[in-house]
Amino acid sequence: MTSNLWPLVELAGRPLDRDEREAVLGDSLEAGDSACQALFGVLGFVFRRQLLLWKSWRPWLALFVFGLPGSYLLMIVSVSVTCTYERLMGLPIGHWAPTGHEGFALLLCHIFLLIAWSWTSGFILASLSPKTLWLNAALCLLMVPICDDHLRKMTLSMFAQYLFLLPAIWGVCQGVRIVRLRRTPAFLLAATITVLMIAAWTNSALWILNWLLLCPAWYLVATARRTARDGSRRVQRPVETSL
Amino acid sequence: MLGEFEYLLITTAARLGENAYGAAIREGIEEIAQRKCSIGALYTTIERLEGKGLLTTWMGEATAERGGRAKRMVRVTGKGTRAAKEFYDAVMRVSSGASWAVGRSERLS
Repeated sequence: MTSNLWPLVELAGRPLDRDEREAVLGDSLEAGDSACQALFGVLGFVFRRQLLLWKSWRPWLALFVFGLPGSYLLMIVSVSVTCTYERLMGLPIGHWAPTGHEGFALLLCHIFLLIAWSWTSGFILASLSPKTLWLNAALCLLMVPICDDHLRKMTLSMFAQYLFLLPAIWGVCQGVRIVRLRRTPAFLLAATITVLMIAAWTNSALWILNWLLLCPAWYLVATARRTARDGSRRVQRPVETSL
Repeated sequence: MLGEFEYLLITTAARLGENAYGAAIREGIEEIAQRKCSIGALYTTIERLEGKGLLTTWMGEATAERGGRAKRMVRVTGKGTRAAKEFYDAVMRVSSGASWAVGRSERLS
């Protein structure tokens, strides 16, 4: 087991909990498995573990209801915000001007909404199914090449469609740590997003599909904890821990 | 009702007693069942059985031969013992009269 492949075995075991990794890698060493055998053993375990996680509804909800549609819409909103900014700054804009009439106030409103939508989507993705987070995030990033060619023609900036990534990653980090928001901040966040969306909608500055991005915020309200003790970090996730 | 591999695992852990942990159970299963036992199958089954309350596990001590890594110790619970006994009885009942089992249980006892 002193082979050069050993660091690879360690790396393969990273998705496992610390204790679990200790036990599995220790067992491989004790059994005198070759590095290759250990690598396949650990990979097999990680694969089985992932498969079992998908028996729950949570990863499916996180990926297909919030993750994939959300990342697609957020990429479009990112480009829309960039185009509006370029137009307002008098820059020569690309081929697409989403509505063409927003002023600075609506731009600010869109920027806030983009941050809030991205944050809530990231939060949901992480808190709903933290153990499938990496796979879900990777699958969401598959949307990037699909939308990339289509969206890149619309703006001058190469990274316009990725504006949502930073707040989304921030939301993911918070989702892993906090799991569930408290009811009052969750409600305030969802209400603020809703009011701003209504304001943008009444000014004809919101695409109808953008209403889907409101779902994560209200889902956070629906699943919010009532008290400070009611499951913050290290919360029990019965479905996943039992698998 | 237990599955075949679950029964093998519980029985091996019960036979090992205080020395039941991942690597020892895996070795025991491979020796008795004469088949390979993957780490993945072993640990996912241990977790499933623990979830059903048939086993309890805890982290044991680390040894040099394990590269200083801790063992995951296993103990069969009372419920696990009853489930294994039920499985065994069911196998004995269903086997009675089968050509390969005739006279075998008497010889074994």
